[in-house]
Amino acid sequence: MIPGHLRVTLILVVISYFIVILYFLKQKALNLKYTLLWLVAGAVMGILVVVPELLTRIIRLFGIQDNMNGLFLFCIGFIILILLSLTSIVSRLNRKVRTLTQELAILDKRVRDLEKK
Amino acid sequence: MEEKKKILIIIPAYNESDNIVHVVKDMIEQAPQYDYLVVNDGSTDRTLAICEQEGFQYLDLSINMGIGGAVQAGYIYAYKNKYDIAVQMDGDGQHDVTYLEKLLEPIMTDEADVVIGSRFLEREGFQTSASRRAGINILSGLIRLTTGKRIKDVTSGYRAVNRMFIEIYSKDYPMDYPEPEAIVSAIMHLGRVQEVPVQMRAREGGVSSITFKKSIYYMFKVTLAILLCRLSYGVRRGKRV
Repeated sequence: MIPGHLRVTLILVVISYFIVILYFLKQKALNLKYTLLWLVAGAVMGILVVVPELLTRIIRLFGIQDNMNGLFLFCIGFIILILLSLTSIVSRLNRKVRTLTQELAILDKRVRDLEKK
Repeated sequence: MEEKKKILIIIPAYNESDNIVHVVKDMIEQAPQYDYLVVNDGSTDRTLAICEQEGFQYLDLSINMGIGGAVQAGYIYAYKNKYDIAVQMDGDGQHDVTYLEKLLEPIMTDEADVVIGSRFLEREGFQTSASRRAGINILSGLIRLTTGKRIKDVTSGYRAVNRMFIEIYSKDYPMDYPEPEAIVSAIMHLGRVQEVPVQMRAREGGVSSITFKKSIYYMFKVTLAILLCRLSYGVRRGKRV
């Protein structure tokens, strides 16, 4: 399994990961709503570092032979998930900006019309 | 029943400083009975300044949103100001004001909900390039395949809609390259879509929004959009009287 030394390194990595996220949250550079996925990712990483046997079992469950392959597969899947959710957030924002711009333009015309009177 | 209908001509304009004066003045001279509204789509040239100077009726979108967003702004304005009929007409001088009456007639007589001015019904006037016609035919075929309705000039931006579709379009209008998709959306809303023959001119100044490089992307995106639009409305429910 994972040698003790590597395990300590990994635990430190996960801890600094959380510190960075918390720092961003505190600075209000990240919206908690959009950070949930990242926090979940951190939690999963933490659990897997502490109980690595879990990872092996899940990977076997999917029929994957090599541990590292399995790990990479899950990581990539998770990153795709996060990107997809980002695209959906951007699309929603896009829609909101559009509505705002249109409403602003209509209000602007109304103000001009009123000033003319 | 002879009450006067409130009619708004929506003229989306993106960097049309070469054409806009001519288009709007034509409009005011030849069709003074209708209201018009220029929608400046965040132009980077003097379009806005010209509209101000000339005292045109205009909406000024502070961000460029593409033709879909601009036209939709016009529909929202028409909806809020209780217009009965809205016409959209390009700001580049391609569309001839003299065909307005013909475009409006099927809506006035309540024969149609959406009327499209078509270059290809009588094949007169500017017919655009062969490659574009081929593209238009493919999209037209696709729309026929997915909705059963034959519309020839699916990319024409010269259209009139009644109050029902002013409301529908003000709430949901396709973005980017909206014309073909808006037809599918109209058919799926059980709208009566009709084409009337018009003649168009070759554009007088400025550049078309669709360059050759973009045309592949255009076909791809619009094809997907049509299929998606068709799918998201599912099986058509009954017939509208």
